Amino acid sequence: MRNALILFVAGITAVWFLSPYAQGLVALIGIYALVTLGLNVFMGFAGQVSLGQAAFVALGAYASATLALRLHVSPWLGLVAGGCAAGIAAYAVSFITLRLRETYLALATLAFGIVVSVAFNELDFFGGSSGLKDIPGLTIASWNLDVRGYAIVAWALVAIAFCFTRNLVGSGYGRALVAISSGELGAAALGIDPERLKREAFVLSAVYAGVAGALYASYVSYIDSTSFGFLLSVNFVLMSVLGGLRSLWGALIGAAVVVLLGQFLQNVVPLVIPSARGDVQSFFFGVILIAMLILVPQGIAGRLGSWRRA
Amino acid sequence: MKEAALEVQGIGVHFGGVAALEDVSFAANAGEVLGIMGPNGAGKTTLFNVISGIQVPTNGEVVFAGTRLRGRSIARIAALGITRTFQTPVMFWGLTVRESVAVALEAREQPGTYPPSFLRCLLPSGIGWPSRRAFDLAVLARADALIAASPLASLADRPTESLSFGEERLLEMARALALEPRALLLDEPLSGLNSGEVAQVLNEVRTARERGVAVLLVEHAVEELLAVADRIVVLDHGKKIAEGTCKQVVANPLVVDAYLGDEVA
Amino acid sequence: MIAEIWQYLLAGIAVGAIYALIAAGFVLVYQVTGLINFAQGEFAMLGAMTAASLAGAGLPALWAAALAVLVASLVGALGYLLAIRPARKANPVILIFITLGLSVAIRGAALFVWGTNSLSLNAFSSGTSVVVFGGVLSPQTPWVIGADVLVFGALYVFLRHTPLGTAVRAAVANPPIARTFGIPLATIGFWSFVAAAAIGGLGGVVVAPITSASYDMGLTLGLAGFVAAVLGGLDSLPGALAGGFLLGIFEKVSGGLISTGWEQGVGFIILIAVLVLRPQGLLGHTVRRA
Repeated sequence: MRNALILFVAGITAVWFLSPYAQGLVALIGIYALVTLGLNVFMGFAGQVSLGQAAFVALGAYASATLALRLHVSPWLGLVAGGCAAGIAAYAVSFITLRLRETYLALATLAFGIVVSVAFNELDFFGGSSGLKDIPGLTIASWNLDVRGYAIVAWALVAIAFCFTRNLVGSGYGRALVAISSGELGAAALGIDPERLKREAFVLSAVYAGVAGALYASYVSYIDSTSFGFLLSVNFVLMSVLGGLRSLWGALIGAAVVVLLGQFLQNVVPLVIPSARGDVQSFFFGVILIAMLILVPQGIAGRLGSWRRA
Repeated sequence: MKEAALEVQGIGVHFGGVAALEDVSFAANAGEVLGIMGPNGAGKTTLFNVISGIQVPTNGEVVFAGTRLRGRSIARIAALGITRTFQTPVMFWGLTVRESVAVALEAREQPGTYPPSFLRCLLPSGIGWPSRRAFDLAVLARADALIAASPLASLADRPTESLSFGEERLLEMARALALEPRALLLDEPLSGLNSGEVAQVLNEVRTARERGVAVLLVEHAVEELLAVADRIVVLDHGKKIAEGTCKQVVANPLVVDAYLGDEVA
Repeated sequence: MIAEIWQYLLAGIAVGAIYALIAAGFVLVYQVTGLINFAQGEFAMLGAMTAASLAGAGLPALWAAALAVLVASLVGALGYLLAIRPARKANPVILIFITLGLSVAIRGAALFVWGTNSLSLNAFSSGTSVVVFGGVLSPQTPWVIGADVLVFGALYVFLRHTPLGTAVRAAVANPPIARTFGIPLATIGFWSFVAAAAIGGLGGVVVAPITSASYDMGLTLGLAGFVAAVLGGLDSLPGALAGGFLLGIFEKVSGGLISTGWEQGVGFIILIAVLVLRPQGLLGHTVRRA
């Protein structure tokens, strides 16, 4: 925990001196890291699968944006609202989906992700296909946050979430999660209710994603359903796997690597392959995902540092 | 007269046209070791699956301390005080030996509320509330204390992935006992163990009996079973064919037939 | 009103025919290897893009189509050997992630080769639309249905009436016994994957004249075909056929009656319903744990 705080303070100082472009990247990495942190709890510790995490990000973003635009709710409260909206949705959906095994759970979360994306695209209340624009940004004493400010807020949230999660998984709760992920029957035979633990992990991951989504909405001030599609969910899986599924530092590392590598590839690849346009990084990300899963399944951070506290 | 802790009443399990169990009834008393014998395929594990809630019986009922078990989830049944081990030990990959025992202890500490409720456990754990943190460390210490007398003590820090089969069995047993159950179902706990480990397990069984636990013991190693059991129930092809003391069962011609000349006599 | 619904129905049949083809690929791979191949849609994309660019370069339609199917099969073979065989023993979730990675990689590679442009392919038969009881179908649709007949018919004949096919079915039904008979399971897995890629490629080829081809068409096609497969039953080839048409009809009718945007969503609501209520699908038998 000490390390995290030191890093955080160092990070803030560093951010101050970066270019706005770099600051933007830092903010984005922070937002994604928050989502991945929650996803790691659900996939890495509880041992489940989510191919629809982008849906919770969307729910958080749309909840916060709608409240801000229609009811003039402060975007700061929107962060809380976004987390709650995503959390409640996850709670409701969990009764249907968490009873399913592995493969079928993956498919159900996939389906959920797409249904949410389509719903936001079709419902005019949420802007339909035009999305929502002019979303109010975060303000401190009527002073709009600049990119630097968003980066700091994002990483403050990550720091808080990181400490909370680290405490959680380092305690009996984390042990119980690992137990149900690898020996569900044995855990149940001890009186542990696997479905309830999975539900809690699922809701936690959704809350993190929802808060991240709300922050994202304020940051970019325009959202539509195309921002939160299946491909984003796949990206989150990539971040989790790359960093290390059962690792909290891994969530941060994975988000950072995917964003930075993506930027790098977007700039470099068109120089090498002139005809390349659009998501040029996808090919490499696909290959990296496959390679990681086959060769380094524990991820980059899997070996560095344990999730245990004691 | 020992009180009946666990009553199995007319349990039947049918898959399609096959009867895995047919009208099985018996009672297990507190502070007693009830051995369950039978040739392969007799339905012993199915019986355990019914009692522990993994298998829903087609008919019949299991009553534990006056409570009907039918339809309850595995975790609920365990919370009532019945725990079991499995033919192949179920390990918690990713945890150490000490942590595995701690999981069992924590499940015991707050019966009915485990997994931890949000306000009482999740939030304080996440915030790092001092009393919660102290509780956590205390549980790990108690896990150490629990296995201090067993060969597991020297393995406390080892990841469960590195355990031998015998050590896995001992760990599963330690977890089950950490729960302080009132009924303990042991599914072939001796198979694959060396003589030292066998002695260890039988010791634990006797200790449990002294504590008043109703122990149901399925075992193929007939000699060991007869040595430790107070009473025996014999199953064959899903039906109960004999029940009684060891002497009675051994002398029963039906039992001898079923085993076709095994070392029963 | 009736005329409109009839038109939606016809549109549903037309698109359902495509879904059935993609679903066939899913079911084939799942039945033999227990793997859910998220890259299945990308094989269709490869078939469509290759055929369109080859035909556009002047190659006769039949050659373009054949080469397209070949390309899809080759990519399938490569993908299997590089991505799936090394991870054969991993748990099903890891394998799902791997096929996801494969689909992303193939799509990314397509982006390098063809960019973001969409290509068109001429319909196989000239002429205007086919009229059925007052409803209109694209002249390409009979070709799609023809491809369905070809693929499903060939699979049926192969699996039921050839010694090799019977061996495959035996191996799938009872892997341990198949091993003692010396039927190489790994090879069967490989060839079923390649066959699924070929089927997908063929599907892409016959669909391209209707939808035109672009590098990202594989995602929606794949997902839809996948829903169709689950709907019909992941371990049932007839189910893939039924599921494809049912899904297509359901999509187009509800899309017509509610709004076209909901078409995709409707399919996934069906998927959730199937997973919860009847995971083995309409015609499937067991919920198989790979």
